[in-house]
Amino acid sequence: MPKKLTFTRRSEDEDIKAAGLFLDFDEMAKKGAMQADDSSIAKWYGIYKSRQPGNHMARIVIPGGVITSAQAKNIAGIAEKYGQGIVNVTTRQALQFHWLKVGNLADMLRELGEYGNSTKHGCGDVTRNVTACPLAETCAYRRLDARAAAVEMAEFLGMCRDLDDLPRKFKINFSGCGADCAQPHINCVGLSGVIHNGVPGYKVVIGGGMGWKPFVAESLFGFVPHNKVKQVCRAVAILFREHGDRFNRAKSRLKFVVHRKGIDFCRTEVISNLHTENVSSDDIIVEPVTDEGVPFSLRPLLDDSPQGTDGQHTVRVIVPKGELSFSTFYRMAELSERYANQRVYTSNRQNLQFQGVAPSDVKALESEIRALGYQTSGSFTLSDIVSCVGTTYCPKAVTQTRALFDIVQRVVGEPRYESIAQSGVINITGCPNSCSPYRIADIGFRGMRIREESGSVEGYEVLLGGSQTAFGQKLGEFKLSDCEEMLRLVLNAFVAVRISDEFLTDCVNRVGLGYFEKAVYGEI
Amino acid sequence: MRFEYQKAQKPKENSVQTGVGTSPLDLKTIGKAIPCQEACPAKTNVPGYIEHIARGEHDAAYRINLEDNVFPGVLGRICTRVCEDECRHNWTNVEGPVQICHLKRYAADHIANTQTPLAPHFGPSGKKVTIVGAGPAGLTAARELNRLGHQVTVLEKEPLPGGMLVDGIPAFRLPRDIVAAEIALIQDGGVTIQTGCAVGASEMSILIEENDAVIVATGTTLSNQTTIDGVGDDETQRFTGLDFMKRYNRGELPALSGNVVVVGGGFTAVDCARAARRLVSADSAVSIVYRRTEASMAADKNEFKAMREEDVAVRTLLSPKRWKTDGSRGILVCERNVVKAGDTRRKPAIETLNESEVEIPCDVLILAIGQRSDPRILPNGIELDGIRTSKENLFATGDFEGTSADVITAVASGKKTAQVVDTHLMGQTRYVEGVRVETTDCDGETGRFRDHDIQWALPMPMLDVVGRFENQAEVETGFTPEIAQVAATRCYLCQYKFEIDQDLCIHCDWCIQAAPRECIKKAAQIYCDDDGFPTKVFEAELSKDTTFIYIDNQDCIRCGKCLRVCPTQAISMKRLSRIGCVKLDS
Repeated sequence: MPKKLTFTRRSEDEDIKAAGLFLDFDEMAKKGAMQADDSSIAKWYGIYKSRQPGNHMARIVIPGGVITSAQAKNIAGIAEKYGQGIVNVTTRQALQFHWLKVGNLADMLRELGEYGNSTKHGCGDVTRNVTACPLAETCAYRRLDARAAAVEMAEFLGMCRDLDDLPRKFKINFSGCGADCAQPHINCVGLSGVIHNGVPGYKVVIGGGMGWKPFVAESLFGFVPHNKVKQVCRAVAILFREHGDRFNRAKSRLKFVVHRKGIDFCRTEVISNLHTENVSSDDIIVEPVTDEGVPFSLRPLLDDSPQGTDGQHTVRVIVPKGELSFSTFYRMAELSERYANQRVYTSNRQNLQFQGVAPSDVKALESEIRALGYQTSGSFTLSDIVSCVGTTYCPKAVTQTRALFDIVQRVVGEPRYESIAQSGVINITGCPNSCSPYRIADIGFRGMRIREESGSVEGYEVLLGGSQTAFGQKLGEFKLSDCEEMLRLVLNAFVAVRISDEFLTDCVNRVGLGYFEKAVYGEI
Repeated sequence: MRFEYQKAQKPKENSVQTGVGTSPLDLKTIGKAIPCQEACPAKTNVPGYIEHIARGEHDAAYRINLEDNVFPGVLGRICTRVCEDECRHNWTNVEGPVQICHLKRYAADHIANTQTPLAPHFGPSGKKVTIVGAGPAGLTAARELNRLGHQVTVLEKEPLPGGMLVDGIPAFRLPRDIVAAEIALIQDGGVTIQTGCAVGASEMSILIEENDAVIVATGTTLSNQTTIDGVGDDETQRFTGLDFMKRYNRGELPALSGNVVVVGGGFTAVDCARAARRLVSADSAVSIVYRRTEASMAADKNEFKAMREEDVAVRTLLSPKRWKTDGSRGILVCERNVVKAGDTRRKPAIETLNESEVEIPCDVLILAIGQRSDPRILPNGIELDGIRTSKENLFATGDFEGTSADVITAVASGKKTAQVVDTHLMGQTRYVEGVRVETTDCDGETGRFRDHDIQWALPMPMLDVVGRFENQAEVETGFTPEIAQVAATRCYLCQYKFEIDQDLCIHCDWCIQAAPRECIKKAAQIYCDDDGFPTKVFEAELSKDTTFIYIDNQDCIRCGKCLRVCPTQAISMKRLSRIGCVKLDS
């Protein structure tokens, strides 16, 4: 009989998943190698293959972006022991180790677990790290505590075994207010705090995402009371599980379900899923509601040392390229014990922060941080560049993003651009997967190779004027060697027409992309 | 302008993005892309119809064949299958080629009963054409000329139309109702066939006068002869292959007695041997004696199997020397041959070994050592020159024209002759071959997975040897739906062509990583010939040397993975199909 002919419309990854989501890392250590099928399943354990053969990356899941100082010290220790001393902060508030060897993975997982750290569901077709806006519980604009909600959500969905095998990854994030610092519009499920009739709850948008095919999330519900948000997210996950494409992984994310089936279909399904699980939808409002909270600033993260409603301060550590040494990271844990609330926070701009810093301690803490060689100011400015790891570690990357990072940082740090420092952010990503969401930045770079007469060189597609709800417009494709000149031309053009403290994106929308094209290509 | 970059020119593989292209580039591209279709003398769209079979659309599959090779049910049984020799499954050496021929038959066996003739290409021209000979080439030319708007009459000297299809090939390989149905379809289209109408040189002269064009399609009616000492003229003991098959097919042969030897290695020899087996008693030996080896014989794997089952001995590397009697039994004395050392051709040279006689029991001798056309039909002074003759409105086709040797080449010859005749009749070339290029919108989903490449090929079911000899029963019983499904899904669907738009490609290499084989390559340079057809790809090792990422459709298994992982939508899937008749604007 024929060897195998199922005619099942299912991707190979689905076949591998169907064979089981369990791996024995001790066994793997004995064999000394990870098989191809194993490396697919290893993602459920938060472990990826690196660009360099034989090396692996592990992603520590940090719901809400908060760990205790003890956990931070544990992480620093493991980075030293197994990861060549490097800790990376991600844009989804997780931490990553690189350069891990197969033989050490089992021990690493065990040692992480001793302090409650975990890489479980760091990758894989599951609910990924649930993120929150960086200021969360201390933010003056908050409608509710987004961080606590994120932690609760992660615990709740992490217990749902029927959501272990989704068609693709599933990302949820919480913002405390409509300023949407957590970037809800580019996640599968984005929740923004609102107060309606005195009840705190969330506006829910679904189906956003970056990647090769970006979508802005669409409004699912105008208002979901805070005590029902877990069930709603579970209902969305079930919608995704049932309707996601299991053949074409490139089109399996929730954003494609929403795009393909329509938001109305999705809403009906979600409500039906809620009813199936005996959750009433009576107090869920579909239409947008009027938010009763205090007015919020558009870019709250620009404040360098914001004071929380409890009188305590938040102090930031700007981490270039999101990468620290294990010793620095350990020192951060110590600083949190000495000056802050014994916790280390991660932000979605690959930075660290301390909370609960007494006003009297702010200066001392800041000078301690500066002594380590890090800036405490400049959050969410042009110099707060987010870059993916690029070809340094990532097998998917096309360009060495960190090389461009250095160029861009040098240019934006020039004194003549001081006046526009707070006018936008720059994101650099090494491939269309958009790990650094370049489409929503004021200036976005996406790695590519540009064909020449013979051979090819590294280059970038450059977008201008992106925001969460309207992606950047393409300025052009530039060789790496031309990026510096191009960036200066863009910034000079911006300086020339900027009105008061206008953001770059607003400027692009006001004067049009054509103005910047002429400035760059020299036909002005 | 600043930042304006010079880039290497993109190689092109079709003259049009979508639509119909008729340039040499288009034909070269489709020729390379679809090796089976290129190998088919009649240029049958093989992957096109196999895709329909995989989807259960038998009528659509049949119509494609009907368009391209005129006799789908017939060729689905007796085609020489040069397409299968070129199938890409041979290159990868996995389970042999796709069983193209058997699939063709499967579709023909499963069509709805009523088939309508193919639509005409042109309206009535008022031109009159007579074709002499209703064999495959004559009938093909007739059908094509009829579709081109000409009034066509076919004259056949035998009582039944079909030529070799009814007189040469035995019914146990090709049931006569299949032949009749497909000839009827040609008649339904408007072709007149007059049987029992012998044409000699004098009648030919009249036909030439009365018609706008006349085509000679009388085939090869004369048998090659050889002298074997001791063989007499006894008509019950000595036959030529052609004559033997004709009489066998008409039921004119009595039961034979004694042992039978067929000399020859072609189609006719095998048919004669298997037919003889059906005429002799079980204790008589039937042997084929052939001067080269089995590899040089025309018979395919299934026929060898059938001969083995039917107890037909194949004795190779033997040349008949003389015939003698030993008491009441005849004996054919043969000499042994050896293949000349180092000759690796399909039909290598041989040398006879001296003093190496082999005796084979032989009471009935059938000489099936080839046949040739009878030029006496041409009126005096007219010379044959390929399809044309020295008389401007007299043409030749098929075996008579000399380039064909089997039914599929006869069909091809008929089509070619039809076009030459049409040009003569209308004073201009009215149509050319072309390639239709269509875009697809299915995310590269062809229904093919890597699994299909490693499918086991299942054999053609055959009648049990017991009972096989009753009533000329067809020996091969045809694919079951299950077997056809397996066979059809093995096809690489070469009509789908994956392309990278070099202006959208960012060299991320994801397609290369997703590729199931080494089907996507990094190219430093791609050299093209004068038609723009890529002839040489210089592969690159490093990213910096890579000018293009290039999909090698020769290695492509049409799984569509590359298209689906491409993050810039640079990869597209086109469907290519060859069109026999693209009308030229006059």
